[in-house]
This record gives sequence, C-alpha cells and structure tokens, in this order.
Amino acid sequence: MLSTNSIYILFFTTGVTIGFGHCIGMCGPVVISLSLNLKGGPSVWPHLIYNCGRTLTYGLLGGIVGGMASFTRFAESIDGLQKGVMVVAGVIITLMGLTMTGWIHTSVIFRAAPPVGTFITRTFKQLLQKKKHPLMYLPLGLLLGLLPCGPVYTALLAAARSGMEADTTLGGVLSGAGLMTCFGLGTIPALFLVSRLTDLRWLRHREKVYKIGAVLMIAVGVYFIWKGLRF
Amino acid sequence: MKASRFNVPLVSIGILFLSLMIFSAHQPGVCLAAEVKLDCDIQSSSCRKQINGRTVDLEILPKPVKAMKDLTFQVKISGDSFSEAPFIDLGMPGMKMGPNRVILKKNGVTTYVGQGVIVRCPSGKTIWQAVVTLPDVGSVVFTFDVIY
Repeated sequence: MLSTNSIYILFFTTGVTIGFGHCIGMCGPVVISLSLNLKGGPSVWPHLIYNCGRTLTYGLLGGIVGGMASFTRFAESIDGLQKGVMVVAGVIITLMGLTMTGWIHTSVIFRAAPPVGTFITRTFKQLLQKKKHPLMYLPLGLLLGLLPCGPVYTALLAAARSGMEADTTLGGVLSGAGLMTCFGLGTIPALFLVSRLTDLRWLRHREKVYKIGAVLMIAVGVYFIWKGLRF
Repeated sequence: MKASRFNVPLVSIGILFLSLMIFSAHQPGVCLAAEVKLDCDIQSSSCRKQINGRTVDLEILPKPVKAMKDLTFQVKISGDSFSEAPFIDLGMPGMKMGPNRVILKKNGVTTYVGQGVIVRCPSGKTIWQAVVTLPDVGSVVFTFDVIY
C-alpha cells in the first residue's frame, strides 16, 4: 500500500509521463495556437498562467469527484458541458486564426457576435488584440481544463477512489483536489516545452510563418468544433 | 539563434510536420503503432485465453460494455489458487491513458471479481485492452471494442 506522499508523487510523475506521451499530441494544437496568437510578444508568463488555470481546474474537478466518491456520476453530469467547452475552444482558436490572417477584423467579429456579457466580451477582445495582458490566459486555462481528455478521466477515476477511502467527505475533497493538482502540475513541463518551441521571436520574416500558422489554427479550430459536436 | 533565410522554410516544414502528427493522433482508427487485432467479442460473451496450461476467462458486465460506466470485471482461472489475487490493467493500444488498475477479490474457488471503469478517449478510438496478470504465472491480453 502506497504512503500518502508516495501517491502524490505518483500522480505528479504520471502527469509528466502523460504530458510527454499524450498531451503534446492532443493538446499541442491549443498551445501552439496560443503561442502564435502572441505574435512575438512575451510568452513565458502567458503560458505559465494558462497552465496554472488548467491545473486549478483539474484540482477543482478532483475535489468534486473526491467529495462525491464517484467518477461515473460526475462524468455523466458534465458530459454536455465538456462538449460545449470543446466547441467553444474550437471557436476561440478559429477566431484567433482569422484575425491573425487579417481576413477578418476583430470589430467585425464583435459586431456579428451574440451578446454574451460584458466580462466575456472584454476577455475575448483582449485575446484577439495585438497587445494582450498575460492574465487573459488564466480564464482560458480555467476553461480549457474542462476539455474532455482520456488521461484526465483516468486520473479523476483514481481521485474518486481516494475519496471512497477517505474517512469524511472533506477528506475526500482534499485528497481528490490534491491528487489532481499534482497530476496537472506534472503535465505542465511538456506543454510549456511546446510553447517555447513555437516562440518565434528570434525568427526573421516570421510574418510568413505566422500566416501559415494562422491558417493551420483555423483548420484546428474547425476540427475542434466538429469533434465537439460529435462528442 | 541567428536568423537565417533558410529558417522560414524549415520552421514552416516543422509546423506542418507537427500539425500532421497532431492530426493523426486525433483520427479514429489511425494508430502509429502496429495494427491491433480484436481477439475478444466482449459485447456478446466472455472471452477465454490460455497461459502456462491455465485457462483464463474474462467477463465484463453489464452488457453492452460501455465507457464511462461502472463495470464489473470477472475473471475465472483454472488450476491452483494464487498467493496474491490477480489484477487487470486497462489501457488503449498505442495511446497512453494513464494507470487504470482493477483490483480483483476472490469470489468462489476459481473466480475473482472487481469494479472498474473504462474511460472514453475523445479521439474516438474504441479499441481497449484488459491485461490480466496472474501472480507468478504471467499476463494475458484481451483486446476488444467498447461502446462510447
């Protein structure tokens, strides 16, 4: 039987393994899109903040399943939400790509968009503008942490089991949240590495590469939308 | 890194290659590893394999076997009993999904039972494997299709 500390370390190392073995392939498009969207601006803090947001969401999900001591009940309740998140992620990436190509101006997007609330509109505008505050990547990370993901489900399953073994509901919440936070922290190195590899500030004539990248972002975004609708 | 006129095509090719890798990871049915063959129709009945002169029967209930549902895993093993209970590791061929072990407990002379969940992969791939490990004997792999 593993000690408590060993289990947290195990979740962290599992996150590292999953990060390099799975996340790069499945979530790489999102990270690359965010990198290209920065267009030569400082990228370390936005990506760190994005990953913190993602990890916070994992911790929150872990706390919930740990408290409920059931993964399947929780998964059923958020199935529709995750589908929506995948579609929204696709929309965000597509719009980022469209504004980067210059084919559509941000003002056109916001004139045509349905009213969704001042905070959301303001956050979205910040993401699509040339100068972006790094903190704008926090809500993005919080949201995209909800993307459906097999390894995250597996980790949540283990977090739910830890909740079953806890003496109290609060104990289950804390152990679930702690385990999932460790898992999320483990996934950061791989995705941060991807973000560094796509930081093109050193590259001359990078505008051409941004154009190519923007077209690929549109393709990725549309693909996410299609996947989300079929999920 | 010093900027060079060759870097634009190189980086573009790199981005294209990376994109192809990423897209291929998302396509159902496409696997970078060798093609995996289904050898267990778990949706219809239990499955049987042999290892070191022993027969191993795997059953998953309820039917149909669906992802993201509580499932009961039942393993019947012929021959002498074990010092430790066997266990099942669930995973997808060619894709890392994280450790997902079903702990089995003895339920009768030759039967072991445990609870587990097969999670869903958003890539759309539905082929899963149950690796049944018999302590001091070895492991058998059952490859089957799951309904999402």
